[in-house]
Amino acid sequence: MSEQIQQCPVSHTDYRSTTAPAGHYDLLDREREASRYHFSDTTERGFWMLTRYDDVLKGFQNPDTFTNDVTSALNPERGIDLLPQQLGGEEHARLRRVVNPYFSPAAVRRMEPFATARCVELIEELRPLGRCDFVAEFAIRYPTDVFLDLLGLPTSDGAFFVPWVEDVFGGIFTGDAERARSASANITDYFDARVRERRRNPLDPAVDLVSRLVQARRGADEEPLTHDEILTVCLTLTMAGLDTTRSALGYMFWHLARHDDDRATLIGDPDAVPAAVEEFIRLYPLVIQAGREVSRPVELDGLRLDAGEVVWLGIGSANRDPRKFPEPGTFRLGRKGVNQHLGFGAGPHRCLGMHLARVELAIVLREWHRRIPHYRIASDAPLVERGSQLTLMSLPLEWDA
Amino acid sequence: MTARLRLDAARCTGHGRCYTVAPDLLSDDEEGFVEQRGTDLPVPGPLLGQAADAESACPEMAITLLDAAPAPTTTDGEP
Repeated sequence: MSEQIQQCPVSHTDYRSTTAPAGHYDLLDREREASRYHFSDTTERGFWMLTRYDDVLKGFQNPDTFTNDVTSALNPERGIDLLPQQLGGEEHARLRRVVNPYFSPAAVRRMEPFATARCVELIEELRPLGRCDFVAEFAIRYPTDVFLDLLGLPTSDGAFFVPWVEDVFGGIFTGDAERARSASANITDYFDARVRERRRNPLDPAVDLVSRLVQARRGADEEPLTHDEILTVCLTLTMAGLDTTRSALGYMFWHLARHDDDRATLIGDPDAVPAAVEEFIRLYPLVIQAGREVSRPVELDGLRLDAGEVVWLGIGSANRDPRKFPEPGTFRLGRKGVNQHLGFGAGPHRCLGMHLARVELAIVLREWHRRIPHYRIASDAPLVERGSQLTLMSLPLEWDA
Repeated sequence: MTARLRLDAARCTGHGRCYTVAPDLLSDDEEGFVEQRGTDLPVPGPLLGQAADAESACPEMAITLLDAAPAPTTTDGEP
């Protein structure tokens, strides 16, 4: 690789391509260690890649310079609206204050009994079969049902909701824009009916998110959210919460099926589960990058950026940066500073659903291993890792029923 | 001098790691932020460990432990 811009190597690595499991992390590790910065020419606009932990954190913490007018370096034109995350400054903060209480640790604790019950139900359904595609038959169904419950919607709607969500992500990440559009239209129509219902018959806004969105004001004496904005918030929550949780579960079980010692630790010591969740999120970040747009000319340490350029904040590189996390490719319980991983981002746009995700994942680790402690990867079929936002496309597991 | 835990309100974005690792010192508010943000919180001796954990758990580097007594050293400066 001899091409250079501003002494930065030019990267041709297309992170949208599929690989073997964890293949993208190898690519990210190699580029981070080859050069502190790269310029990628794999998209029309191109983007500057920040890859070290300290650089990525600074990028997240300076939203005035690195704005959310772009949220993905791989897909800077976005195509669909995202709320609150495409907003900035005070406008963003106000909308976050509307939704934050629904995703706080206290709110998440309230839904824990339901999540546990639903998790157990799904596991018990699968257990006698002795095998399943963990991704399709468990990992997407569980967070979808929890999400619907959290929004005060019937979990039976998961039956048609799950295929829509699959189509949106399948469409976006394979470049099939039509498929993504029509599925997201279905989701929006679904929420449209629910929002109209809540306008007619509002529930307690302290526990019903849709009712709160209907009644919310953006600060004192301000306008309510428009109908379309409310639908956008609902669609954004759907997009943000389901694929990611499914994917995190896939990597956790891909890891545990192949590491008997780590599995034995969790079986023997359920109290270690929260620490394990944190280390899994560090080790297998699914959102490997966040995009940002540069608002003004700025000089980083050795790199000059112009207004309008796109920056890649390399979450997947930062979480495995050996300068921050020694032996970064190893799963290590009780790792020093593990809580500082950037798997949920940082700065004002840090993941709204992080507390929900943590609890959802912890419940599965506890309940699954209580019921199916030993399992293995079933077939010799090669496993495939989707690019862009990582996920294992399937994970066939088997156990002695 | 009493040790204090400085919680920078401008940097805090509500990751919730601090009150998870320091439950006897810190608590969460309705939105999931640490309730004590924006203060220099006095840290009683027995909770110094939790305070240090909170400092090193914050992804935003928003927490600083101040005036904690240095670890005792021998006269020649060796631990």
